[in-house]
Amino acid sequence: MDDVVITGLGVLSCLGSGVEAYWKGLHAARSAPRRIPAPNADMPHPSMYLVPDEDLPAGPAEQDGLPLGRGSQFALEAARQAVADAGADSLAALDPARVAVSVSTGMGDADLHEGWRPAGPAGTDRWAPAFPAAAVVAGWFGAEGPSTSISNACSASGYALTVAADQIRSGEADVVIVGGTEACSRVAMACFNRLGAMDPERCRPFATGRRGTLFGEGAAVMVVESAEHARRRGAPRAYAALAGSGWSCDAYHATAPEPTGAEIGRGMRQALEEAGAAPSDVAFVVPHGTGTELNDVVESETLATVLGGTTTPVYNLKALVGHTGSAAGAFGALTSALLLHHGTVPGNVDIGEQDPRCTVSLPTAAAPTRGRFGLVNAYAFGGNNISLVLQEARL
Amino acid sequence: MNHRNTTDLVVTGLAVVEAEGFDHRTALGRRGYKYLPLAAQYFLAAARRAQDGPGEAAREATDPRRRAATVGTNSAAVALHAAMDRTVLEAGADDLSPLTAPYFSINTYITKLAVEQSLKGFNITCTSPRTAGVEALETGVRSLAAGRADWLLAGATEAGLPPGAPGAAHSEAGAVALVLERAEAVAARGGTALGRLAARTFFLPPRTAAGPDGARRAADRIAEALAALGHPEDGDAPVTAVLDDSPVGRAVAAALGDRARPVPAGAGCLAPLRQLAGQLTAGPGPRAVVTAAAEGNVGVCVTTAAAPGEPAAAPEERAAGRPATAEQPADAGR
Repeated sequence: MDDVVITGLGVLSCLGSGVEAYWKGLHAARSAPRRIPAPNADMPHPSMYLVPDEDLPAGPAEQDGLPLGRGSQFALEAARQAVADAGADSLAALDPARVAVSVSTGMGDADLHEGWRPAGPAGTDRWAPAFPAAAVVAGWFGAEGPSTSISNACSASGYALTVAADQIRSGEADVVIVGGTEACSRVAMACFNRLGAMDPERCRPFATGRRGTLFGEGAAVMVVESAEHARRRGAPRAYAALAGSGWSCDAYHATAPEPTGAEIGRGMRQALEEAGAAPSDVAFVVPHGTGTELNDVVESETLATVLGGTTTPVYNLKALVGHTGSAAGAFGALTSALLLHHGTVPGNVDIGEQDPRCTVSLPTAAAPTRGRFGLVNAYAFGGNNISLVLQEARL
Repeated sequence: MNHRNTTDLVVTGLAVVEAEGFDHRTALGRRGYKYLPLAAQYFLAAARRAQDGPGEAAREATDPRRRAATVGTNSAAVALHAAMDRTVLEAGADDLSPLTAPYFSINTYITKLAVEQSLKGFNITCTSPRTAGVEALETGVRSLAAGRADWLLAGATEAGLPPGAPGAAHSEAGAVALVLERAEAVAARGGTALGRLAARTFFLPPRTAAGPDGARRAADRIAEALAALGHPEDGDAPVTAVLDDSPVGRAVAAALGDRARPVPAGAGCLAPLRQLAGQLTAGPGPRAVVTAAAEGNVGVCVTTAAAPGEPAAAPEERAAGRPATAEQPADAGR
């Protein structure tokens, strides 16, 4: 079977809208959390990395009668960008039954629903908690293949990407528009506050002073297809190939990671094996790295074991864009694809003193990639783990 | 990864749990379940019942890293989110219970199950109105075909919607759980199967459904799905349609015509799987469930119930006319 490649990217984050703004933002390595716009956010730490006001999509407020909130609007904007990037005309000419959509989200259009609650009845039955983000993308494009919303919390869109690859390899779809979206949610913010898992200052994974994570909102969407299909339709480029994946579940605890890292290590090894990548071939890691106490230690130790050392550069994405929840896996994969495509690992945000238990390499200066593969980790509540290996690709 | 060219899966257990009269102390145990959200309680109870008898031993005989679960839901967390939000609005986040706070995340609803039954292969939660349970089956079967696990617990769960919430008038509550295993493994231990199933989903854009071509488009796509799933083309096999009154639901209803037995849809994704479970226990023969939601998602599931006591045949014995097979291209190695 031919490679499954990423041929289009779309992204909306605290760094702005569009791939160009995102790439510039990665190199600038500057961002700051802001107070969330949700009213009545009565909690100790009500800040996150928000999409800049000037980059918020203008709508739509509804599509085909389905009311849309911030999460669906982000997904639609990122999908539009990804489709345009991948060659909108040749994608539009495809049999719509061969185009699938998968958009993961945890809280979906929470801003919409949380706005209804203090205001009284919604006045509509056209509502679903998570699925509208996928439905609005499929409806906009006219895709008639499977339309799915995998909600595996912070590893969800990583799973969505590998399910998309499975759909292509099994012949169920030729093209999948796939990614994740997350927007500010009063409920999610309040629960993380109550769990004591929210850093009051900023997201600083692997830092000595880290005190939890800090959410980021946005959407990351990709167009994926087989390399052969991309060549046949004249796709402009392939950013990277989805070369390997490893799924696992800790089956240990609702929120805490399994402390030995056995299952996340299995996922990493499986992904590398599928990709045919030796540890020395890995140019960089985009870790799960949330800033929560145990996650960062266990992930660091397991990375050192799996990669046979601690010299592989780790790109500390969440220190810049925050923890984007269900979109985090897609953000990691999209970022990894850009790093491989440009052959550069941007410099990391300076997190201050690094926790000596987190022996990962966090260079603050940009450097050329040394290796053909990028490893992406995404973990979640419930111990739902996924590792992806992306590989340099050309059409 | 353990790639296989074809995967013949059989259903070896199923259970339906109704919310009415459900008591977690009776269904699950006196300690440890009080703070588990209702939908998680329902699904855990259904999962256990689906493995009554030899099912538990079959699970235990499978490497924990090769056991997996997929579950569909639409509104399992809605009532909890509403209650949490009310607490934040009235008293602030500090008044939230730390015991229930993790459950704001819908994927934690199968964590207790994964921990109790050591399901380390993967857990996936699909979310959509009406079709999420079918998606859970589709995703789970596809993942087993890709070699990601050998033993699958799949199903759907919902909790009741709070009064005033959109869709509350059609609220659903309860769970359906099914166990799927490789026929080869079941046959090797001399086990029996309830039957086979296969599922597909597609999307019918609401504006297409509402247009003059909507019913024809729905008919084409349903026919494609049924054919791909091995449903007999003679039109005699029973079809149950779980539909709402949306343009998408009406287009699908028109496409199916008189051949389908209509069943009203609820707000969640439970009704289609209840119908599917009924089909697997209704006597031998092929049947189908078709369901759709206003958002555009459509699910098609074909079941073939086995005769009572029928052994799970080895794959080579069922090579012809097998309805419930997930296929991977021969060169699908990654």
